[in-house]
Amino acid sequence: MSLAVEASEVVKVFGSIRALDGLSFVVKPGEIYGLIGPNGAGKTTALRIISTLLLPTAGTVKVFGLDVVQKAGEIRKIISYLPEEAGAYRYLSGWEYLEFMVKFNAKDRDEARAMVREAAEISGLGERLKDKTKTYSKGMKRRLLVARALMLKPKLAILDEPTSGLDIIHAYHVREIIKKYVREHGVTVLLSSHNMLEVEHLCNRVALINKGRLVAEGAPQELKEKFECSNLEEVFAKVVKIA
Amino acid sequence: MLKGFGNFLLKELKELARDPKILLGMIVVPLVMFPVLGGIMGYAVQTAQEQAIKAALIIVDNDCGNWSSSFISFIESLGDVGFNLTVYKENEVELTSEKVLELLAKYNTTQILEIPRGFSENVTAHFNYPNVKAYVRFYGVLRGTSVFESVSASVVDALISMFNRRYAPDVLDSKKATVIKGEIKHGVDPAAVSGLLMSQSIAMPITVLILLMYAVQIAATSVAMEKEEKTLETLLTLPMDRLAILWGKLSSSIIVAAIGAVAYMAGYSYMLSSVMAGIPEGLNLDLAALGLVPSVFGYLLLGLTLFVTMLSALALAVIMSAFAEDIRSAQSFVSYIYPLVFLPSIALIYLDVNTMPFALKLVFYAIPFSHPVIASKAVIMGDYWTVIFGIVYVSAFTLVVMYAASRLFATEKILTAKLKFKGLKIRREKPAEESY
Repeated sequence: MSLAVEASEVVKVFGSIRALDGLSFVVKPGEIYGLIGPNGAGKTTALRIISTLLLPTAGTVKVFGLDVVQKAGEIRKIISYLPEEAGAYRYLSGWEYLEFMVKFNAKDRDEARAMVREAAEISGLGERLKDKTKTYSKGMKRRLLVARALMLKPKLAILDEPTSGLDIIHAYHVREIIKKYVREHGVTVLLSSHNMLEVEHLCNRVALINKGRLVAEGAPQELKEKFECSNLEEVFAKVVKIA
Repeated sequence: MLKGFGNFLLKELKELARDPKILLGMIVVPLVMFPVLGGIMGYAVQTAQEQAIKAALIIVDNDCGNWSSSFISFIESLGDVGFNLTVYKENEVELTSEKVLELLAKYNTTQILEIPRGFSENVTAHFNYPNVKAYVRFYGVLRGTSVFESVSASVVDALISMFNRRYAPDVLDSKKATVIKGEIKHGVDPAAVSGLLMSQSIAMPITVLILLMYAVQIAATSVAMEKEEKTLETLLTLPMDRLAILWGKLSSSIIVAAIGAVAYMAGYSYMLSSVMAGIPEGLNLDLAALGLVPSVFGYLLLGLTLFVTMLSALALAVIMSAFAEDIRSAQSFVSYIYPLVFLPSIALIYLDVNTMPFALKLVFYAIPFSHPVIASKAVIMGDYWTVIFGIVYVSAFTLVVMYAASRLFATEKILTAKLKFKGLKIRREKPAEESY
């Protein structure tokens, strides 16, 4: 079976800025893989390249064996991307937003209905789904968007800071949903986060990236042992300092 | 005084003044556009006046009496008071339609003054019987529908009035006929026809102006809104054709703008009919009976012209807004298109493109947004080739712009392109936000 993500020596240059500088990592099917790193490390750029939004300047990226440059259209059918700063259409209700999004993936009307019902449950927004999204708080909007990303049961969910803006209860709820989707539907998750606790509890493996390069990789426990730290936060600080 | 108002106002003014997009769009563009418009209008007035007083006039003397000779001498003597009329004289010519056209072609002019038989007799009789009047017949060619089209016809009125002042009040009057599409329409004053056509044809430039402005605003803000509301990134990762996004934006903008245009036209025609209701009935002219209403084919061509022009404006607006980060920037960007919309719409109310010098004509033909206005006048005059040329040209322009727009949507540039105003450099290789 092909790897979920296979990034090899990826370089991305924006003018004079080298956002990615030979980044390589692989994500196995069915795992939750976390990208962590300081601001400007290249996490979002990496996720955008994998999501077919940006083209790599050099190197190759494959998603389930499909090249992001050659087969972008095919990849978009099997992924679901949640940007860090995403919004919903202000004048659509939450329910209408989900219906709009699901129509691109669902095979028929029954499947679309089932997906929207599931998203409604994941979001926990209840009756508020009938209201226009412009009336939602930041947390409510985020729950709607996470639900949108997961309702499709993609082969690969790419989640940039999935719990950003959520309170403790809702962040916990979203993490449980992500775990459930991986367990029950075989979804592979690639996420980035600043919340080390979240990464430690959620991810099977993590990659620490700094200045566009991978500086450490492994299961959270392995990394803690390797760098002789009690938690990932300390590992993060230590690795970034060394790098 | 409101507490904090002064401080807040200062901050607002600083922000606005330091935004080069606002400075360019709201201050520099009008400062350039209106002087250009003023120059064009000034030129139009000057040309019309020069043409009127320098015009060539054919005088057909079918009377060949003393008074007709005096009248011709009187006109020829007007050169001393500023009228630089070139007079061509013909005697004893029966003015049938064919003959009128033949004479106009022979002397390459647009006006004929006929002194009919009995002219001298009537002038002489007038001195004993004031109710008897002599008259001359004026034939004017209707060429276009600019504001100054009626100037040449009014010169004849001026000649008659001067003649009356010199010899006897009310001795002379005129009967007017208009040559429309090669046919003589007796009893139709060319000034009245062009005035009425003018009032009708103003509707088109103004509608085009409003329609295009609405449409480009809608198209530009709809793309910028996707960026500002952070929905574009998600949209671009969906399994859909990227061109579907472009076409969706363009189509929805056209539909909304068209609804707006219908509402606008309804309001405008109500306003126009209210104005027309105030005109005395005797002055009413039936444009349809004069053949001055577009045919079904003409309407079709006009509709097609408007459609391709809209499409070109929308595609241009979408491309420009792709370089904007938010709605405010997008609105500023598209304001750069406005002079190209304003200029032809307003200038062509005053000017007829056919009577422009070649260089100016080229400029107007090159601006795609001139063509609906040019077409609206051309279909009335039955000049379909001008309209067809316009459609072909604007379609070619639109294809080029659409190709550029589709290239932009097909690549990552839709997300990363930004217009940098320091030195007006287009910077493409920069992510939409500062997170890497």
